[in-house]
Amino acid sequence: MLSRTRSVARPLARSTPKTSQACAVCLGRRRFVSTSSTDRANIVDLPFGRNGLPHGLLTPRSDMLGFKLDIPRHLQDGKSPQPIYLDMQATTPVDPRVLDAMLPYYTDQYGNPHSRTHAYGWEAEKAVDEARQHVADLIGASDAKDIIFTSGATETNNMAIKGVARFHRDKKKHIITLQTEHKCVLDSCRKLQEEGFDVTYLPVKPSGLVDLVELENAIRPDTSLVSIMAVNNETGVIQPLREIGAIVRKHRGVYFHTDAAQALGKIKLDVNEMNIDLMSMSGHKIYGPKGIGAAYVRRRPRVRLEPIINGGGQERGLRSGTLPSVLVVGMGEACRIARQEMLADHEHVSALARRLIDGIAAKVEHVVRNGDPDGYPGCVNLSFAYVEGESLLMALKDVALSSGSACTSASLEPSYVLRALGAAEDMAHSSLRFGMGRFTTEAEVDFVVKRIVAVVNRLREMSPLWEMVQEGIDISTIDWSQSQH
Amino acid sequence: MSSPSRTSILHLYGSMLRASRSFTSYNFRQYFIRRTRSTFRQLQNESDAERIKAFYDNGLRELEVLRRSAIVNSLYGGRRLVVERSDAEEKIELERGDN
Repeated sequence: MLSRTRSVARPLARSTPKTSQACAVCLGRRRFVSTSSTDRANIVDLPFGRNGLPHGLLTPRSDMLGFKLDIPRHLQDGKSPQPIYLDMQATTPVDPRVLDAMLPYYTDQYGNPHSRTHAYGWEAEKAVDEARQHVADLIGASDAKDIIFTSGATETNNMAIKGVARFHRDKKKHIITLQTEHKCVLDSCRKLQEEGFDVTYLPVKPSGLVDLVELENAIRPDTSLVSIMAVNNETGVIQPLREIGAIVRKHRGVYFHTDAAQALGKIKLDVNEMNIDLMSMSGHKIYGPKGIGAAYVRRRPRVRLEPIINGGGQERGLRSGTLPSVLVVGMGEACRIARQEMLADHEHVSALARRLIDGIAAKVEHVVRNGDPDGYPGCVNLSFAYVEGESLLMALKDVALSSGSACTSASLEPSYVLRALGAAEDMAHSSLRFGMGRFTTEAEVDFVVKRIVAVVNRLREMSPLWEMVQEGIDISTIDWSQSQH
Repeated sequence: MSSPSRTSILHLYGSMLRASRSFTSYNFRQYFIRRTRSTFRQLQNESDAERIKAFYDNGLRELEVLRRSAIVNSLYGGRRLVVERSDAEEKIELERGDN
């Protein structure tokens, strides 16, 4: 029927220039068929999809499974409110003060900081040096020259791990790291394994902390590097850096690298007190811009590493390439502010975390906090038993949350970090990470608590598992296989 | 130079609060109001004239930063957050549900 009318209509549509006008009228009224007398019959070329419905407007998506006919948000109303941001481990908003410091370098002061022959270069170089000093001050580095700017913590981790290992490859073949490290550390280690290095992935205690005795036992005469992160990105667990640093320092020729992307500006770090030889830092986790990070590479005693990027010899030859002076200034200002605000921020975030945990615990039972409770309070990882984490995230459309690292947020696999902590598969599946920061308010936390309580209770009401738990059946003892039938 | 007078400090406090309130983004606005209040409250217990002077000079610089930042924020920011909704809107949302 349709095809027949189309074949008639096509020559008609081509001959009448009014078609597009008629189409616009139809769209405006949202009518797809208009009655007309047979002699003036005319079919207009509507923007139909193959299935006869307009694109994106009323077509059910495959993932709706027939349950929900959702009109995209931007069509519902022009200014629908934004969700609350509670994913500060993924990234943080740029502090307005940081942006203010950066803007002059995006307008008039565009010089190349490596240009030595004119004023544009000098002013950029001066700004970069100041920023370097701010970063050094934040981590207690004795000299600003110890700081190398990179593109971010991932690059720094690659540079530190591969660089140290490859430089010492003739004599030393062994690297120690943790199972709960960030993907970029684990992947760099995997790459080195392919190159013939030996990597020990230390397990962690159920609290998420490293076992110091096991660490000491794992150090071998041919160990070149120990890489242990400061604050875990999924659980907020703070590793005992001071103790680890002391152990590593006892063994000559072993370097201690720490990934401090989540720790910088949030907890007190001192590279000299903690005997840290290499440190990775990131700009966008401390309310700075994305695309900039830094490495601390100790010069006394000198840590030698093979650069990944070769070229003009900038940054002590460890990271060639023109420095993005704007981003460097942004990172420097972010570090300066972080140093100034660290105590107040920590106090604020601790109060928010208490409010969140107490608020949820008061109204929802069977909630487990993953990781050491004395970790960084801005990262609270909770598992809601008998609720699937992804469905929880889908239902919480007013809250921007993540179940774990942003790098793995697309996969439905349970977090390897929680598995390493010994969490059961179902608990690792039902986890949510709440990341709070400088700009999170109490009202936002209260709103989130209200939503979480409502959604968890609603999802549990729908869950047959929850019903069984309420009846007192121990789910773990049930044999789910079908073989008995 | 002598330490700043009580009126000039109060004047700075008022200006900074005003600048903080002019941010259009909810989170920035709330943060700078909270921060301005807490830092000036700390100053109330300060008796060292030298430090009051340093605080005042720093505050003047920061005021300019806040004023500029608020302008930039009003140009590019200011999307409304769900917490900023009125109670009436909230009630409609809860009654309608989303599933």
